[in-house]
Amino acid sequence: MQEQFEAFCEQTRSLGELVKMESDAIAARARLLLRMEDVYAVRQIILTGSGDSYFAALAAAPALRAWTGLPVNAMVSMEASRYVDNGRPPRSGRNRGLLVVAISSSGEVARLIEAVQRLRRFGALTVAITGDNDSRLGQSAESVLNIAIPPAGIGPGGRSYVASLLGVLHLGIRIAEMLMCMTMDQADRLRRDLTLLNEPLTRLATLCVEPIAKFVRSWDSVFAVDCIGSGPSLASAHYAAAKLVEAAGLHATAQDAEEFHHLNYFVDDPQRVPAILFAPSQALSRTRTRELAGILPPLGRPFLVITDAEDFAPPGRSLVLPEVHEFFAPLLHAVPATLLAAHAALHRGSVHFRGLTGPWRGAQNAVLVRGSAIESGA
Amino acid sequence: MLKTFTLETDRNGLYDITPLAEATLGESGARSGLLLVSVPHSTAAVTVVSPWDPLGLEDVHDELCRLIPTRVDFKHQHDTPQDAAGHIKASIVGHSRMFYLEDGKLGLGHSQKIFFWEFDGPRKRTIHVKVLPQ
Repeated sequence: MQEQFEAFCEQTRSLGELVKMESDAIAARARLLLRMEDVYAVRQIILTGSGDSYFAALAAAPALRAWTGLPVNAMVSMEASRYVDNGRPPRSGRNRGLLVVAISSSGEVARLIEAVQRLRRFGALTVAITGDNDSRLGQSAESVLNIAIPPAGIGPGGRSYVASLLGVLHLGIRIAEMLMCMTMDQADRLRRDLTLLNEPLTRLATLCVEPIAKFVRSWDSVFAVDCIGSGPSLASAHYAAAKLVEAAGLHATAQDAEEFHHLNYFVDDPQRVPAILFAPSQALSRTRTRELAGILPPLGRPFLVITDAEDFAPPGRSLVLPEVHEFFAPLLHAVPATLLAAHAALHRGSVHFRGLTGPWRGAQNAVLVRGSAIESGA
Repeated sequence: MLKTFTLETDRNGLYDITPLAEATLGESGARSGLLLVSVPHSTAAVTVVSPWDPLGLEDVHDELCRLIPTRVDFKHQHDTPQDAAGHIKASIVGHSRMFYLEDGKLGLGHSQKIFFWEFDGPRKRTIHVKVLPQ
């Protein structure tokens, strides 16, 4: 158990160095990935993936939307593989302006491969962001942005999540630059800002440990967790919830800050359902997340606000991270999200993915996500 | 004597930099010789144009853009279409201009001013002015 905990912590400590080593290299590979003529034909962008890769898509979509001015939608691979333009004739013209960016570190996720193959048949421009160009996904897409990273032992996937985020953000910067939605200098500044995240990421791995350990220490009777955020930080909420499920076996859900007021606010037994709110102080959603931080104490909810300003949440209830642009906050959020899962698993004595044994043995070798039958029709 | 200036362009087009050349000349104390204005960029240039009608300046810029329009099918795809077109414009116009000096004055006519020509703005640019006294 302690070994698993140490592996999670070690992974968070490695993220800064990962960004330092890989960010510029990924940016360089993104530069000549797409032809100018193709980019100028793009009318909408779909970012798609499953699990952490979907969260990377969700995190990056608002940035790409702002930078390119194009409609950019993040969607799960099932949506892209079965529901986008279902029933329309192939190459009807509808999809000629569609850029599909499919994210998968392994490149072997069946539903995503199906999405790329189907939408490519429909005439979409397809890009895979993957660590393996020879994977089925890499072979299915027209272009591949390679995000292969050095392996780092067992862990919760934080490194591939960060690499995926770097990939899709650098691709977005490049597309916006090609479309001249931003100047080359502005694009270079964004690239530099991304790479410079290595420093706060490195600091965070230490800064977060004690506040999170303290927060989780009281989780003896906890049976579910709400992770909350909006915009890019909704992806952080999803990522945190996913890590809590995977590592600690807790039922954890992600919810938008506005939707929380409509939905999970009403969860029964609130003292046993902690809330984790990702709320950058300068985010477009900040007035609503600040309101949310104010309604949690009367509910009796245990809660932690992951923010970047001391005065954003009631004293003693916030974890204050270095301030970065809202678009880049999910990269930093990966650290506290992973550490929350690590501490929760340690506290509960849970094994990652339940050890893929007993009733969970059917997920061994990722067969559940890689072995699903790929539909070739549509 | 070499002086270096920075210019933050906020658009494509012509920027009057004659005062920079005159200030450098005045500081040098040179009475005759040569003065070089040069820009260390591949998507910007130096030229001489009449300054009196601002629309005339726009005509000059527009006409060069008509001759070398920004296109998406340039072979140079490393940066942007504007950058690719800018390389061609800058190479045609040239990155420097030389002027003679006489009686401590630049050899320019009444309707001649020195202009920095931005083809890939907005950018932070550098301008070098070198005085070569006789």
